[in-house]
Amino acid sequence: MKHQSKFNPEQQHTAAQQSRQQTTREFTTAEELLRYDASEVTVPPAIAQRLRQSSADLPGPSKPWWRRLFGR
Amino acid sequence: MNEPLAESVGRDSPSAPSPDQAQAEWASTEFAQLYAEHSRAIFYLALRFLGDPAKAEDATHDVFLKAFRKMDQFRGEASWRTWLYRIAINHCRNLQQAWHDRHIFSNADEAVWDNAVARADSPLRVLEIKELGERIQKALDALPDEYRLLLLLVADDELSYEEVGTLTEQSPDAVRGKLHRARKAFAALFQKSDPTPNHETSKQI
Repeated sequence: MKHQSKFNPEQQHTAAQQSRQQTTREFTTAEELLRYDASEVTVPPAIAQRLRQSSADLPGPSKPWWRRLFGR
Repeated sequence: MNEPLAESVGRDSPSAPSPDQAQAEWASTEFAQLYAEHSRAIFYLALRFLGDPAKAEDATHDVFLKAFRKMDQFRGEASWRTWLYRIAINHCRNLQQAWHDRHIFSNADEAVWDNAVARADSPLRVLEIKELGERIQKALDALPDEYRLLLLLVADDELSYEEVGTLTEQSPDAVRGKLHRARKAFAALFQKSDPTPNHETSKQI
């Protein structure tokens, strides 16, 4: 993933602006931007918990067809 | 992790385990490992495709539960990631269709995006990362479904153009062609959502 952080000196007109120290990130393509966005997203832990409970109520998955066939 | 999973998932133990034991047991299953490896990709697709965190959470749960039920049907012809994406895409499309059936909705004509002002090869620059998610979502929401899905899939480094083509039922060349238009449309919409339109850097989007 290529993304650059750039500090833009032209934005430092006031002390307030200086304190903000805004960082400009540059993304070459939409996919690159989405990759960055995806890396920032947190998967809610509740999903794993719900999934564990849901799957516990079900029988375990049966063997794949090729394992049944070859007895592996 | 493309090898079909073993069947050692979801087995009931003779005595009821404590919540901690149950959690530890589940975490050690191959299905839990599958979830750990691919949940971010599936959740992100659902999040940005549906545009609603609560719906994305439900969708991710449902997708993995379907995968759990259908694991014996996995033949290893595709990667686990591709297989999960297929389930997720079908699930999200069904949810969206149900929503469309209840609402009047029209997507902008593709020609609008073909004539978009922004250049597809222009860099996308952002100043405030905290609002980035909202801006991305707005831009994606305004895209035709096909472009939105294409961008989200191509953004996954683990998928090749061939795999994206298989998932979206088109050739890799068609993927490349549409991707160019999708990038262009996204760039135009992303620029439109810039809260600081007069900012020096945003002029270059």
